[in-house]
Amino acid sequence: MGFWQIFSDLSWAVSVLMAVWMIYDTWRVQQEYDESFLMSSREGAEELSAKETDK
Amino acid sequence: MSAQVIEAPKQHISLKKVLSPIHIWGLGVGIVLVGEYMGWNFSVAKGGALGSLIACWVIGLLYTCVAMIDSEVTSTVAAAGGQYTQAKHIIGPLMAFNVALYLVLAYTMLEAADATVFGDLLQEVAGNFGVANLDPRPFAFLCIMFLAWLNYRGVFITLTFNFVITAFAFVAIILVFFGVAPWSPGVVLHHADLIHGLPYGWIGIIAAFQFGMWYYLGIEGTCQAAEECRSAARSIPLGTMSGMITLVIAASLTWYICSGLLPWEYLGQATTPLYDAARVTNSTWMQVVMFVATVFSNLASANGCINDASRAWFSLSRDRYMPPVFGAVHPRYRTPYRSVLFLIPIAVSFAFTNLLDQIITFSILSGLLGYTFMSINMMRFRRLWPLGSIHRGYIHPFHPLPAVMLFLLCTTVYFATYLGYGSQLLAIMAFFIIASLWFSLHRYKFVKRGDQFTMPWPRPKGY
Amino acid sequence: MRLVPDRQHRGGMAKNHYVPKVQSGFGQFIDCVLILVLVYASLYAPLLMQANSGSSAASSSEKPTWQSLKQNSFEAGQWQKLGYTPEQAQPIIETRFEYSISWPVLGLTAAVIIGYYLFMLKVSDKEYREVIREKFGDRP
Repeated sequence: MGFWQIFSDLSWAVSVLMAVWMIYDTWRVQQEYDESFLMSSREGAEELSAKETDK
Repeated sequence: MSAQVIEAPKQHISLKKVLSPIHIWGLGVGIVLVGEYMGWNFSVAKGGALGSLIACWVIGLLYTCVAMIDSEVTSTVAAAGGQYTQAKHIIGPLMAFNVALYLVLAYTMLEAADATVFGDLLQEVAGNFGVANLDPRPFAFLCIMFLAWLNYRGVFITLTFNFVITAFAFVAIILVFFGVAPWSPGVVLHHADLIHGLPYGWIGIIAAFQFGMWYYLGIEGTCQAAEECRSAARSIPLGTMSGMITLVIAASLTWYICSGLLPWEYLGQATTPLYDAARVTNSTWMQVVMFVATVFSNLASANGCINDASRAWFSLSRDRYMPPVFGAVHPRYRTPYRSVLFLIPIAVSFAFTNLLDQIITFSILSGLLGYTFMSINMMRFRRLWPLGSIHRGYIHPFHPLPAVMLFLLCTTVYFATYLGYGSQLLAIMAFFIIASLWFSLHRYKFVKRGDQFTMPWPRPKGY
Repeated sequence: MRLVPDRQHRGGMAKNHYVPKVQSGFGQFIDCVLILVLVYASLYAPLLMQANSGSSAASSSEKPTWQSLKQNSFEAGQWQKLGYTPEQAQPIIETRFEYSISWPVLGLTAAVIIGYYLFMLKVSDKEYREVIREKFGDRP
C-alpha cells in the first residue's frame, strides 16, 4: 500500500471522524440546553439598537 | 418545532460578534479569488483574449455597483442573511425567499465545485508521482468536512484562516506578475505574438460577459457576516470596497500574465490557467507558488461558501421560511451549527454527481438573479426610506446611476447566458418559478407576519 | 387564515394578527426534501433535453502542422512547452462557438424572466403590505 492509498484512506477516516464528532456534539447540546434558548437569537436588532443609543 | 417562544425569553443567545474588516476582506475575496485561478479563462474561449479583458472591466463595473449598493443597504440592515434580510424588509417575503434560495444554492454549489476541483488537483499531483487514476472523492470529501468542522467550531478561527490563505493567494499573483518581468515585453511575456483581435467580433465580447463574472462572483457574500462583526457599519463597507479593489487588481494582473504566456485557444479551455502560465515560464519557484496558491484559493472559496450558505439558511429558518430547527445557535461556539451540519450532505451530493458544468451554471445564474434583485432593491430602499429618515452607516454616491447601470448590465449578462446556456437558463428559471409557487401556496402559512420586520425603522413611505 | 385579537395593538388601530400554523417534524422534513428534489430536477433537465453549448470543431483529414493551424513560432513553442503536438492541439484550436440567435427562443426566455420578476414583485408587495399592517398598525 503506497503513500497515496494511505492518504486516501486517511482522508475518508478523518472526514468520517469529524462528521461523527459534529453529530455527537449536536446531540449533546440538544440534551444539555433548552430548545427555546438555542432558538432565541434575534435578527441583527441588538447591534442596531445599541448604535441608535450611542448616537 | 412546537416549542416556539411566545414571549421574549430573558436570556438571548446570539452569533458571536468578533469580526473586523480584515475578516470581511478575507471572506469576500476568499470566495472569489479562486475565479482568478480557474474559470475566468472560459471567457477567452467565448470572445478571445481582448474580449475577456473588456468583459473583465465591464463586469468589474457591474460589481462596483453591487459593492456600492450592498455597502449602503448592509450598513443599515446589519443581519445575518444579508440580501435575504434586505429583501424581507424592502421588497417582501416572496422576494426574500427567492433571494435566500439564490444565496444558499449559489454558495453550496460553488462549495461543491471547489471541493471537486480540490480533489482533482490532488489526483493530478498523484498522477505526477506515477499513481494513475487515484479516486479524487476522498479528498473532496475531506475538504468539505474539514471546512464544515472549522465553521462549526467558530467564525473567528474560520475567517482568520480564510484571511491567511486568501492573502497568500493574492500575494502569489503579485509575485508572479513581477516574476514575468512586465517591464520588458518580449522577454517572458509576448502579448504581441499571442493576441489576435476579436475572433468572434462584438457578439463574442457579450458572450464573454457570462464567464467574466468569475473574476468577481461572490464578493457580495461579505454582508452575510453582518451579524458577527464588531461594527457592521464600519467593517462591511470597508471590507467589501477594499475587497473589490483587490479583485480588480488581481483580475487585471491575471489576465496580463496569462494572455502574455498562453495561446488564446489553449487559455480558453485550461483548467488551471495561472498554474499553466507558471509552467511555461520554466521557473520552479513560480510553479510551486502557483500550485500552492491554486489549492489555497480553492479552500478559501469553499470555506467562505460554507460560512455564507449556512448564514443564509439560518436566517431563512429563523423566520420559519424553512424548517425552524435550523435557526438554532450553538451555545458555546455561537455559530449556526445545525445549518452548517445540514448543508454538508447536500454539498457532498453535488460534489459527487459529476455535474460540474450544470452546477457552475446554476451557481452563476443564481448570482445573476440576485444582482438583478439588488438594483430593484436599491431603488425601493431610497423611495421607502429617503435619506435622513433612518440612520445609514454609508451612503453611496450618484444614486440612481449605479442601480440603473447594474440593471442594464444584468440584462446583458442574461443575453450572454442565453447565447451559451439557453436551455439551462430556462430549466433554472422553471425551478425558481415552481419554488415561488410552492412558497406562496404552501410554505408561507407557517410564517409569522409582523415579526418578520425586525429593523428599528419607521413605517415605510407609501405603505 | 386564522386570526386572533392583537395583544399589543398600537393606538387601537391594528386589530388582528395572523397566527401561523405549526408544522410537524415530518412536514418540515418533506419540505426540505421537496426543495432538494426540485434542485436536482433542474440540474438534470438540461442534460435530458440534450443541451449542448453550441461549439463545433472542423475536422480535416490531413496531418496538421503548426503552420496549418495558423500558429506562429512563439505560439507553437508555448504549445510544445505545455506538452502538445499539433495533432493534440488541433481539436482545441479548431473548436469554434456558434452564436446563433433564435428569436422565438430568445423571446420566450425574456418573457419567462420578466414574467417571473413581475409575478414575484406583485406577490411580494401583497405579502409586504400585510407585514407592515401587522407591524405598524393600519395606515394612519
